[in-house]
Amino acid sequence: MLWAFCASAHEMTPAYPKFKPSHVYGVYRVDLSLFNSREEIAYYEVELFDTNWGALPFSTVYRVFKVDYKERKNFSVYIREADLNKALYVCTTSKVKKTYESSTLISSRVCSRLEGDPL
Amino acid sequence: MKYFMGILSLFAFPALADVNIVGTVAAKCVIQTDKSGVYGNPIASKLSTTPADGGVLPVIRFDVSIADSYTANITHPTAFSSSPSLSDTLAWTGSTSVTQTSVAGMSAYEAAKVLVDNTTIFNLTLAGSTWFSTASSAVYGAAKPFPGGTYTAVVQATCVAK
Repeated sequence: MLWAFCASAHEMTPAYPKFKPSHVYGVYRVDLSLFNSREEIAYYEVELFDTNWGALPFSTVYRVFKVDYKERKNFSVYIREADLNKALYVCTTSKVKKTYESSTLISSRVCSRLEGDPL
Repeated sequence: MKYFMGILSLFAFPALADVNIVGTVAAKCVIQTDKSGVYGNPIASKLSTTPADGGVLPVIRFDVSIADSYTANITHPTAFSSSPSLSDTLAWTGSTSVTQTSVAGMSAYEAAKVLVDNTTIFNLTLAGSTWFSTASSAVYGAAKPFPGGTYTAVVQATCVAK
């Protein structure tokens, strides 16, 4: 019931994704899922951070990708083995559009925590 | 014919099978934007989201499914993301507070909040929904009037898994 009346929301799961081996040697991946029910938002950006919120290199199909209203998008983030012990947060951030009234816009960001040994 | 009827009667018995319904509850955070804010312009040199200044406070709701799994980090603006050209400095102020909760114990979030620069951090120790509102105001120069145009600033609402 908690989620049933979410009219305009940004959701990303899982909260604690696990590293899995990828098809490339020395590169691991985490699988995530994003659900967009913010009607005014169509694009989300993926970012990878360390403990101090410093950006880390990673690869994904699109760093900024389109997610239509009420659409779920599954995506993978590829991380080098050398960065596994540094990578702590993988986040998606909504990209807000310019408006024509004096206002505050809300940019939402959901961060999952990476931890544990690779599977 | 007798044998045939006998075989048919076997098929008449209902097939019985157990069908399981399986569900899992995992940690999840949903950020809901209940209301975007609007800047009021009570005097020529000030833009403010405070209702007393003619503004509208932005309201953000955080829904968490598992207790003590996330923090809510809300950053009030310190710059306009779009505005007319401004030649003087801006004095920014802002704050974020808990305005509504789904569980009575969440009211303690307000006293326990931590302010780091312009980011207010709330430890979401209980499962359920919490509503936050962010006040933001900007004063231009030494009481200089703001040039005409549209002013937009961004409030960053972040849900971080602990």
